Order: sequence, then structure tokens, then C-alpha cells
Amino acid sequence: MYYSAHFVHSHIAHFYALAAPDFVVGPEADPAKRNILGIVEKVGVPVASEVLRHRAIAQDIQITIGGRSTHPVWTLPGGVSKGISEDQRKEIIEKAKSCVEFAKFSLKLFDDVVLANKAYLDLVLSDTYEMDTYWIGTVDGNNHVNFYHGEHRVVDQAGKEVFRYKDHQYLEYLAEHVEKFTYLKFPYLKKIGWKGFVDGAGSGVYQATPLARLNASDGMSTPLAQAEYERFFSTLGGKPVKKLLATHWARLIELLFAAERLLELAQDDEVASPRFRTLPTAIPEEGVGIVEAPRGILTHHYKTDRNGLVTEANMIVGTTNNHAPISMAIKRAAEKLIRPGKEIGQGLLNMIEMAFRLYDPCFSCATHSLPGQMPLIVEVKNAAGEIIHRESR
Amino acid sequence: MRTRVIGLGNTILTDDGVGICAARELRRRLTEAGCAALADIVETEVAGFALIELMAGWDRVVLIDSVQFEGVEPGTVLRIRPDDLHTSMRLRSIHEIDLPTGLELGRRLGFEMPREILIFCIQAQDANTLGESLTPNVKAGMTEAAAQVLRELQTSP
Repeated sequence: MYYSAHFVHSHIAHFYALAAPDFVVGPEADPAKRNILGIVEKVGVPVASEVLRHRAIAQDIQITIGGRSTHPVWTLPGGVSKGISEDQRKEIIEKAKSCVEFAKFSLKLFDDVVLANKAYLDLVLSDTYEMDTYWIGTVDGNNHVNFYHGEHRVVDQAGKEVFRYKDHQYLEYLAEHVEKFTYLKFPYLKKIGWKGFVDGAGSGVYQATPLARLNASDGMSTPLAQAEYERFFSTLGGKPVKKLLATHWARLIELLFAAERLLELAQDDEVASPRFRTLPTAIPEEGVGIVEAPRGILTHHYKTDRNGLVTEANMIVGTTNNHAPISMAIKRAAEKLIRPGKEIGQGLLNMIEMAFRLYDPCFSCATHSLPGQMPLIVEVKNAAGEIIHRESR
Repeated sequence: MRTRVIGLGNTILTDDGVGICAARELRRRLTEAGCAALADIVETEVAGFALIELMAGWDRVVLIDSVQFEGVEPGTVLRIRPDDLHTSMRLRSIHEIDLPTGLELGRRLGFEMPREILIFCIQAQDANTLGESLTPNVKAGMTEAAAQVLRELQTSP
């Protein structure tokens, strides 16, 4: 329930604060208006209030369950430090119902604003935002999307399963390439190999995003999300979908799935059971845990000493998985958009940035660096390599 | 004036938690001085949208957070305005919205946003290493920030 509520909160924040301004206000709109204030202007105060209310509801559920919405303080080896009461469970049910309705509304908004607008639909379907990589996602026993339990499935450019691994096997399937210009690594599929910043079957580059999770699965395990999943692939021409801006649509389908799952779990009275921890009886020496973070698959690997203290740690966080695809997507968008006669200004800069933004990148977590600004610069060089135009924020 | 003080940060990232430590120190000093009613004090690790809800309904809000300005000595206490926020660790959220946008959004959605916002920043030395203690200079900055906020509350309650 805590994790589902986290997805609800995170996906609402990304869609409405970061993604929607590109579509609702317009990709080439004045940067001063292309933000959530522009959304308020376009969709009206009642809708914007619902956005804020449901983001807060999801965080309240997290606080009820885990003490805090960010950096929860109740997880312990073997379980959690406190359970929830029957009254709290009932309260969560009502809040979850509201989140399901809000997710349905958000998908309707996407239909009305993006899919019904030919210019935006053309943008989504254009080859400016397209990539032909492998896709990874966690699935349950039915190959349905699961955020925290199951096996990790990799499908190829035709949507066919090529690998499947359990948590502890991740090092057999993933490796990390290093470049001198950055300390954030570039994970790739070990059995395919690193062939550089290229897509296609011969390159081990993979994507781990909401779109990747849908591509790597055979469906969703909740009814409303499943219906949306089917509509998504039938509208976009089957699996896998390679149109990167469809990631925003996939994110909203996951929002619905998370809300439905939250409701389903809250309706099970077992969640208010006083049995919420099993005391561990042994000290483990090594462990790997893998979940789906909102931005992509998240791997933690620890080794501990006899006191249970960590001696080795390795993490591949959501955004890190997508480091190579992000770099490639930005390059492709720039190559497609920068054309003779095309004005190079803030609108073009934003349309390149859209290739970055769709990954919901968590670069502060992936690099532990907080520059506090978007350091995106477009430099146009002539054939001699001289800079003839420079555009930045 | 109904005042809320919000300490921001993450107390397991060394100096990143200095805003929360300063809020705790302020609470202690207010209680000791017998004037705890001067301000409501909260601690939070969140930013973006959540700050709107924490600030709504108060006449004045005092924010205390860590910053990493270039060329500023660790522990230095700075007072800035909402529009100055470009290097605050939390008041300019990467995933969500920054403070000026949050304030404006709150107003447009009909929340009663504070008439006055004071921001006290403490220059961090190390906000990346896992640790529950402040570095020495930043600890001194923390007590200085708490003293400055206390003076502000006492002189214009």
C-alpha cells in the first residue's frame, strides 16, 4: 500500500508539473507560461485543485503507514515497526477510491488534450522521439506488471522475451559501461554487450521506464489498467511501442494501476493485522533487492559482516538504467529538430528537453549532484566544428 | 501574527539536516524563554507541492534550509528572498516545483498563502555523506540561525 501510494504521488507530480505543460500549454510556448501555472490557466482552478488534493492524499497514506512520505521510518529487517488500525484501513480505502477516479480523469485528460489534437498526436508518433532498444520490467507469474515482486523480464525489439532473471542473478545479465566524461555509469545487457550509443538488436542498451514496463509485460493485473493497456497498444500499433513520448501515457496507465492496487490491498482486512514483523533469526551475509521505482528498475545489492554492518554495496537506480537511452534520445531529437531554416530558440530547446524529461530523470539520486538548474545548452556547429549558434536557459 | 517555522532537510545526510536541527534548537530556546506560542515549528524532508500545504493558512512562514553557494564559508547564515532560490537544496525541487512557483500556485488555487516569507539558509560543508552529525562550522551556523530566527520572532511577534 505504501509503495502503491508512492507511485500515485510520484506519477501525479511528474505528469502535471513536468510533462503536461508541454502538451496542455504547448511545446513551443513561452517558458514563463510552460509550467504548472500555465496548466492552471488552461484547465482551470477546480482541476488543478484536484491535482494537488490527490497528490496530498497519496502522501497522507504514506505518512499513515510509514510515518513519513519521503524517507519512511518504519521499515525493519523482517517487516515494519508498526501496523495500521482498522479505522486507518477504512480511511485508506476511501482515499484509494478517490485516487482511482482521479487516475481515470487524468487518462481522459490525456485523451482530450493530446490524442484528440492532431499536432500533438503527430508529435507523439514522429520519429523525432523514437528508439529501438531492449526493454526491461518486473513481472508477476502471469507476466503482468508488478512494482515490487516477481522476476525481471527483458524483451527485444520485436517484443519477444530474451532474458528473465531473479534478483540475485542480476550480475549475470547487467553490466555497467564507464565513460570518462561522467561518473554516472551506462548499464547494458551483459549477454548482448556494449556497442556504444546505438540502438538495435546488436546493442545491449535497454530502457527501464513506464513504457518499458508495459512493453516488457503481457498485461496489468487490475481490470481498469488492463483495459487501458489494451487500448494503448491497439492505438499505437502493437508491441513494443517505440515512440518515446508515449511514456507519458504509459505513466498514467501505471497511475491507474497503482491506485487500483492500493484499493485492492486496502480492502483486504489482513493488512490491519497486528502481525507485521517476523523477527529474523539469522544474520545474512549478502542480499539483492529489486523493485520498480517510478523511473525504472531499481537494484540494491549489499554484503554484510557478522555484525550485520554493510561491507559492500552496489546500486543501479532507476535513472541510471536509462543513462545511455537519455543521451541517445536527446541527440536524436536534436538531429531531427535542428534543420536549415528552423529557428533555434527556446521552443526548440524545450522540444529537445522533452526527450530528456520523458524519462522523469532523477539525476540527483543517480549522480548525487544538485546543480539546482537545468544545464541544457544547444550548440550548433558548422562543418568546420565552429560554434555558430548557442542557446541556453 | 500567526507564524510557522519550517525546518527542511534530511538528518541522515550530514549538513543537509541543518535546517531541521536549527528548528529543533529554536523550539528548545522558545520553550526555555517561555514563549513557545510565538511560532508553530515543523520539520519536513519534502519540498515542491507539499510545501504549499505546509505554508497555507499562516500569516508568516520562516523557512530554514541548507544551501551550497559558491565561495561562501561553511556555517555562514544567509537571509534570502523566495525569488533568490537557485541553490537551495529543497526549496528548488528537481522533481516538482520550486518555492516561487509553489507560492503562486497556492494563491491561484485559493489557498491563503503567507503574507511574509523569511528564508534563513546555512551554508553546508558536506551534504552528501551519510551521517547524523553536523560538521563543526555548520553546527555553529545552526545555533546562529536559531538565534537569528528567535530574535526576529521576539522583535516582531
